Amino acid sequence: MKLTLRVNGIEQTAEADPLQPLARVLREQLNLRGTKIGCGNGECGACTVWVEGEAVCSCLYPAFRAEGCAITTIEGLATPERLTALQQAFIDHGATQCGFCTSGMIMAASALLARNPQPTEADVVHGLTGNICRCTGYRQIIDAVLSVGNKQ
Amino acid sequence: MNAPLREVGRRIPQKGAEQRVSGGAVYTQDIALPGMLHAAVLRSPHAHALISGLDVTAARAAPGVVAVITAEDFPGKPYYQLGGSYSDRHPLARGKVRFYGEEIAAIAAETLEAAQAALKLIEVTYEILPALLTPEAALAPDALPLHEAANMLGGRNLAIRFTCDYGPVQQAFADAAKVFEDEFSHGVAVPACMETNGTVASFDPASGDLTLWTATQAPFFIRKEVAHVVGLDVERVHLRGVEVGGGFGGKSKICEQEALAAMLAVKAQRPVKLILDRREEFISGKTDHAKRIRLRTAIADDGRILARATSLQIDNGAYTAYAPTYVGAARQRTTCLYRVETAHYDCDLVYTNKVPGGQYRGMGAPQMIWAIETHMDKIAAHLGMDPLEYRLRQANQSGDVTPLGWKISSCGQSDCLNEVARRIGWAEKRQGPREATPGKLRGVGIAAMIHPSGGVIYQEGNYSNTRIQMLADGRFVVHTQTADTGTWQNTTLAQIAAEALGVPSELVSVSHMDTDAAPPDLGSAASRVAFVSGNATKRAGEALRAMVARELGRHWNCNPDDLAFAEGKVRSTADPSRMADIAEVAALCGELNAEARYSTPGERPDPATGIGNYAATYVFGAQAAEVEVDMATGQVRILKIVAAQDVGRALNPVAIEGQLYGGILQGIGMALQEELIFEEGRPVNASFLDYKVPRIGDAPPIELALIETNDPEGPFGAKAGAEPTINASIAAIANAVAHATGMRFYELPLSPDRILPKLQAGRKLALKPWKRPYNLEVATVRKAYPAAVFPVLRKIGTKFANTPKQGVKPEIAAPRDIDGLLAALASPNKRTKLLGGGTDLFVGLRQGIYDTELLVDTARVDALRGIALQDDMLHIGAGNTLASLTDSDLVRRILPMLAEGVDLIATPQIRRVATVAGDLCQEKRCWFFRSAFPCYKLGGATCPCFAVQGNNRFHSILGAKRCAAPCPADLAPIFTALGAQAVIIGPNGQRKVAMEDFYQWSGLSCLTAGEVLLRFELPLSARSSHAFEKFAVRRSDFAESSVAVRLDWEAGRITGARIALGAVAPLPIRAEATERALLAAGRPDAKQIRAAAELAVQGSLPLRDNAHKTHLLVNLAERAIRTAIEHAP
Repeated sequence: MKLTLRVNGIEQTAEADPLQPLARVLREQLNLRGTKIGCGNGECGACTVWVEGEAVCSCLYPAFRAEGCAITTIEGLATPERLTALQQAFIDHGATQCGFCTSGMIMAASALLARNPQPTEADVVHGLTGNICRCTGYRQIIDAVLSVGNKQ
Repeated sequence: MNAPLREVGRRIPQKGAEQRVSGGAVYTQDIALPGMLHAAVLRSPHAHALISGLDVTAARAAPGVVAVITAEDFPGKPYYQLGGSYSDRHPLARGKVRFYGEEIAAIAAETLEAAQAALKLIEVTYEILPALLTPEAALAPDALPLHEAANMLGGRNLAIRFTCDYGPVQQAFADAAKVFEDEFSHGVAVPACMETNGTVASFDPASGDLTLWTATQAPFFIRKEVAHVVGLDVERVHLRGVEVGGGFGGKSKICEQEALAAMLAVKAQRPVKLILDRREEFISGKTDHAKRIRLRTAIADDGRILARATSLQIDNGAYTAYAPTYVGAARQRTTCLYRVETAHYDCDLVYTNKVPGGQYRGMGAPQMIWAIETHMDKIAAHLGMDPLEYRLRQANQSGDVTPLGWKISSCGQSDCLNEVARRIGWAEKRQGPREATPGKLRGVGIAAMIHPSGGVIYQEGNYSNTRIQMLADGRFVVHTQTADTGTWQNTTLAQIAAEALGVPSELVSVSHMDTDAAPPDLGSAASRVAFVSGNATKRAGEALRAMVARELGRHWNCNPDDLAFAEGKVRSTADPSRMADIAEVAALCGELNAEARYSTPGERPDPATGIGNYAATYVFGAQAAEVEVDMATGQVRILKIVAAQDVGRALNPVAIEGQLYGGILQGIGMALQEELIFEEGRPVNASFLDYKVPRIGDAPPIELALIETNDPEGPFGAKAGAEPTINASIAAIANAVAHATGMRFYELPLSPDRILPKLQAGRKLALKPWKRPYNLEVATVRKAYPAAVFPVLRKIGTKFANTPKQGVKPEIAAPRDIDGLLAALASPNKRTKLLGGGTDLFVGLRQGIYDTELLVDTARVDALRGIALQDDMLHIGAGNTLASLTDSDLVRRILPMLAEGVDLIATPQIRRVATVAGDLCQEKRCWFFRSAFPCYKLGGATCPCFAVQGNNRFHSILGAKRCAAPCPADLAPIFTALGAQAVIIGPNGQRKVAMEDFYQWSGLSCLTAGEVLLRFELPLSARSSHAFEKFAVRRSDFAESSVAVRLDWEAGRITGARIALGAVAPLPIRAEATERALLAAGRPDAKQIRAAAELAVQGSLPLRDNAHKTHLLVNLAERAIRTAIEHAP
């Protein structure tokens, strides 16, 4: 089917099987490869993007449902000049190691901060339950998200 | 060199972090080359079988297929690996498969879908052989040989049988005042990198050059093996740099996809991409090895360790990867940790029909140290000594020579032990009350570790070459063949180079993995990079600096020895007017390159005994853990971990701290929750849902102390650091659990199914299975299962299995209203399913448990959504997302228990799309069914239930008949307790069904063809109180047991009770006896609550591995009732 999506503010079209996961449409057709596929089953969160402002697993989100939707991916957060405060906080807190979970982690954490600008540590932990990181032990990620919350 | 360090030790950010946080980092799965094909692999569906026929004709002719390869397409050489008898595996199976998931053929096609579709056209004829699934079975005298005689010892399924005494060990045992002896065992843990293994290969037929982009830690070994098995000169194989999404040992040697992608690219003469999916990664990726450890420790009166004898049995899996080095690594701990006077080590490496073991962080050290440190605690207790005090007396010291011949130079072991003890509050917590909070047991434990830093463990020795390039603009590039898999080595190597060159780290970048740009290096494994490649980098930096000085000396007409490099500037010490920025210097000198080699100075270990001082230096560390064990659930919660590690010098504290946090969390996973579960040799928990890597909620506070001993041989004093961070974690946690509970557990992981029955041993529950009459029949059949029922059904019955057709591509209908929905559902002769959020349905389609032809989407039907209060009823549209319930102020206000319960379901991302109806109607959750075993529920009445004999930890304890799958939906017990009614609409109008009558079996509701769930109606009352208790190892997991309670009150008395049990039976069932007891008591006291709760398990008939669920259920019921009573209006 022909899809029309508004991705990172730009209207884009793609030709996709209706049940193809949105993650693959973004990666393979729109060349937005910052969205990672870690499990394909919605279990690890590496593929997290926003559909109409809601953080979802794009590996489980069928293309046909995204028709006409506003999608935000990791590539759409920063401006060319400036990273977001959260992206910068990830760098400053050493919250990235292999980086494979990072896109999804930042998309989920940004969604969390949008709903709850000053989260407690428990809020952060609860809000990132869907994102697995195998490298960092999570501590630096929690600190990075909290540091942004505290600034706001 | 005593000048203060400027770059080494700086907390600079990770090189490449900007790309990582903005989606710009390029991993193998992101590589797209012009004309690139996509590949898929045909894998064995049997653990052990002969391949008597293999026909790929139809697959070759399939649309889009460009190349198909089988074993015949390779020149016929097995992987080299460690050579000799250990070369036992070909890239594709030749005539025989030896494990479930083994590669048989591979296809490259224009699209991934075309490649996957063509796999189904390959015809393989198998002659199934008995599978040898345990070392015991494989070593039985009549066991079939798995391999050719040349690969095995004495015709038995043994890859290695090693035995050695280190000193007069028998005499030591004879002289001992006391001998401690225990057996420890654990299953298979896996690295589970976030990026699965994958490779892009491109072959140029004109030049004969093969180029690979691959997720590996070790370009050196990939190149060597790919050239060997594909039949190319090693110089013709080139690796390029790419980001690698985690390694942890799982990518440290060749993984099969490299050879397969390479051969496909050669055949197709087009680039080929082969990326494993997560299931493939779990079933075929390199794993840790399962082990059985028999440990004997002999001590003198004063506690000196006269001898330590270890008999180890390692499950090799079907093929030998680098297990011989694993045998050696396990030996290091038992002969070297603490002052051991003599030692014995014997080890069998046994072939079985399981996924081949590989390497995983620690190489067996975490479990070996767990065994050793268990004995250290037991010895201390025997001597009446504090465990810390005893360890300090036995700690390794500088100048010691261990039985294995290690000469200990710098040694921070005692410092590390003292430091972690101080920080955890050892003295106070060791004495303090264990049950500070009622029902929660607290304890602290401690453990130490030892690890070689830069050991000579490769046939090639242990060397590194690094090239550093000064660009004409004054920037520098370090070229290394090692691979930064997320360890920050590209950052720390840049800091070493910068320090050596006297320039800021910001001017230095690292280009990794590229075999053309960088000189040879053995790669990133065994924590060798900081030490070995670090030393080579330091030398290359010094050489480049000397080269620049010479060149500049010519330009400036000065003595190069007078030039000083610091802070990005070069000054002449002889002529202060001579000073230039490094950019000016580079512009003057032009591009320069310097290369240097470092080879670790250690001896090679003696091949017969392993004796030798084969590391340049040794790493020490200690960890202390404080845990809390929940007596009601058996869950171990880690309150805090303190780790101290002798890192020599922290090259970049952020980097090594990150390694410690990550290594410890992986250790926590190994200790508490990770294990690959096999049935018939097939991993059944091959997903992140069922293989429980720690999630963010499992991460405890971790406090770190970096001990700097400034190692004389290390680059700027550094020692190896990343791998051994995991070593002491299991031991510290297990010792803390022992302190808390007073019990020892000898199997890992320390999960509630193991712990809870022992904790509750004193509390006998009256299960009264005869309360459910069919239990007699069920028990009888179960008894007959092993000998008669299962073998017959498995062998003959499954031949008649009616399993779902594979590869059906469903159509989609997306109606916009109820009429459209009903019309779509009325489509005749189509296997139809309703689509809610799809979070289970799409997974199920991939798992092969559905052959749906038509998906009817409910998302656009507005009438299915909405939350409203109407006539003392809460109406909840069946199509509401779970998040809409937790977001609803109305729900939070009037039924907080519902909102809180829903908040415990799955993850935030899943709750955003998953629906109420979807949660309730999701397919049954049984890992045999989900792995598409031909079971009773998947294949029909002639098939067996695999849960009767397989690992049935999560299965039903109540009400299981021919299928033991439990009802997984948390909303099922919640709605049942709340007295909800389901409003169903169909071709004949609406009907209402009480939740008790909604289910027929797990995953099977009372909805008939053409019907759809419209909404749920929940009766409300100001006189009721509610509670929901759920237990799952990780938040987001499916419940192991849950209890929902609604109590109605009048004048302080219970006048109505509805208690529903979840995840313990195929249906959400009411605990009627419990309800009656509460009603009878009216105002139940604590004792009556407990007695009522215990009635909830009446009639249960647990399986072998889920007895813990009986206790869990009772304890959760007790908690839930208590909470509901506390909330009485």
